[in-house]
Amino acid sequence: MMPKVVRKFVIPGDVIAVGDYRSGSYIERRDNQYIALRVGLAEIGRDEVKLNPLSGPYIPHVDDQVIGKIIDITAFGWQVDINSPFFGYLPASFVFGKEFSPSTHDLSSKFKIGDLIAAKVEAFDRTRDPQLSIRGPGLGKIPKGEIVKMSPTKIPRLIGRKGYMIKMIATQTGCELKVGQNGIVVLTGTPEGIVKAANAIRMIEQEAHVADLAKKIQSYLSGGAS
Amino acid sequence: MSAVKKNYVVETIRKAQMKELFMKSRRLDGRALDEFREIKIKTGLIEKANGSALVSLGNTQVMAGVKVSTGAPFPDTPNKGMLVVNAEVLPLASAYAEAGPPDENAIELARVVDRGVRESEMVELEKLCIVEGKLVYTIFVDVNILNVDGNLFDATSFAVVSALRTSKIPEYKAEDDKPKLTGEIIPLPVRKTPVSVTLARIDDILIVDPNAEEEAVMDARLTFTTDDDGNICAGQKGEPGTLTPLQVMQASDIAISKGKEIRKIIMEATG
Repeated sequence: MMPKVVRKFVIPGDVIAVGDYRSGSYIERRDNQYIALRVGLAEIGRDEVKLNPLSGPYIPHVDDQVIGKIIDITAFGWQVDINSPFFGYLPASFVFGKEFSPSTHDLSSKFKIGDLIAAKVEAFDRTRDPQLSIRGPGLGKIPKGEIVKMSPTKIPRLIGRKGYMIKMIATQTGCELKVGQNGIVVLTGTPEGIVKAANAIRMIEQEAHVADLAKKIQSYLSGGAS
Repeated sequence: MSAVKKNYVVETIRKAQMKELFMKSRRLDGRALDEFREIKIKTGLIEKANGSALVSLGNTQVMAGVKVSTGAPFPDTPNKGMLVVNAEVLPLASAYAEAGPPDENAIELARVVDRGVRESEMVELEKLCIVEGKLVYTIFVDVNILNVDGNLFDATSFAVVSALRTSKIPEYKAEDDKPKLTGEIIPLPVRKTPVSVTLARIDDILIVDPNAEEEAVMDARLTFTTDDDGNICAGQKGEPGTLTPLQVMQASDIAISKGKEIRKIIMEATG
């Protein structure tokens, strides 16, 4: 069924594999050697090598869902802090439509400085700031909730295979979790549920590299040690 | 076009939670309204300085160093030693700090701390005169902010006071109005321990020791420095918001009582 994937821990300079592969981010090819550029977990598949770094900032990718806060309003859009070295930019025409004009529309009537939004990365090529959009289900202003930050590199573990982990946390704590790929999670629910979910997120962050993590979280959530 | 981070923006949701908790006399980090974060003081870490102190106040971290030398006195105080406090925020201390000469906030910080030390007459400057009008001891206190998480005023003040209290200086005598080392090492003459307490007003609530998040939300800021006898010897008000006379009185009471507690911690750490 699934091709066998070899995983190993690497540090910068380590040769991950030799041969001919497709390679992802944080990997440099020299002749036919694939060299790691970060500390992390390398995955060697049949025709692909990947490196998941253990830590690092959030680097935007097109179609990522991110949670950001409005930090500035310009004439044509909003500046958004997306917990990254890059600032997000949400153009006003994406919110008000094609007929947007700076003289007739008031940007602060929609989003004020300090507001939290869920958005999608529409375009990003590293030469300009990533462009965001709020068109799509579940996107837009986040009116309430508890903000929890975690390392962006560990978000895939929080989501789990096919969303298994996150669904488990949501059903067991009765919380709703809104996850941004940039390492920001917003929880809504009962105070006890929020505390429990936040603790589970802390656990995942600290033990992201541990096998059987799902089982551990499951036993924590179902009432064991708190 | 890339934006530069100007100042810390607190999420609207978080602000609302903060204010909601104030109504229950609690804060986002679990502290009471008049509770300081944990204060840790280490002294004598820099061997080449005459005195030094590393202070952490929660995540705020400040290093102060004292260097003593000789020079000409200020013309208006010919019989007193010279004392200068200078502060700089290192670029790595915060996402909002810039490299380069100290900005206006760092200058305000140094001046407020300097004022507390000077006006409490902590250092016996008249004992630091060698030849009146010509030769006195000069004391330079240099402060580096290592990490910023709010309330730099108090952290810096604790660091400067701790460094001065543990300073040992080389003794000089005058020979034809020129300084000459006697070879003796003497402690810096200090008589008082000024303690600075900073309060922030958010809506109608007064809190002590605001962290970075609370500083980003505060309407007004008030710093009082008190001496061992509970006298207020320096003050500074910041930010555009106003304070009522009652709030100022409350703040001064808190500054005096908190000052007593913190003075004990400084005394313990500096022997």
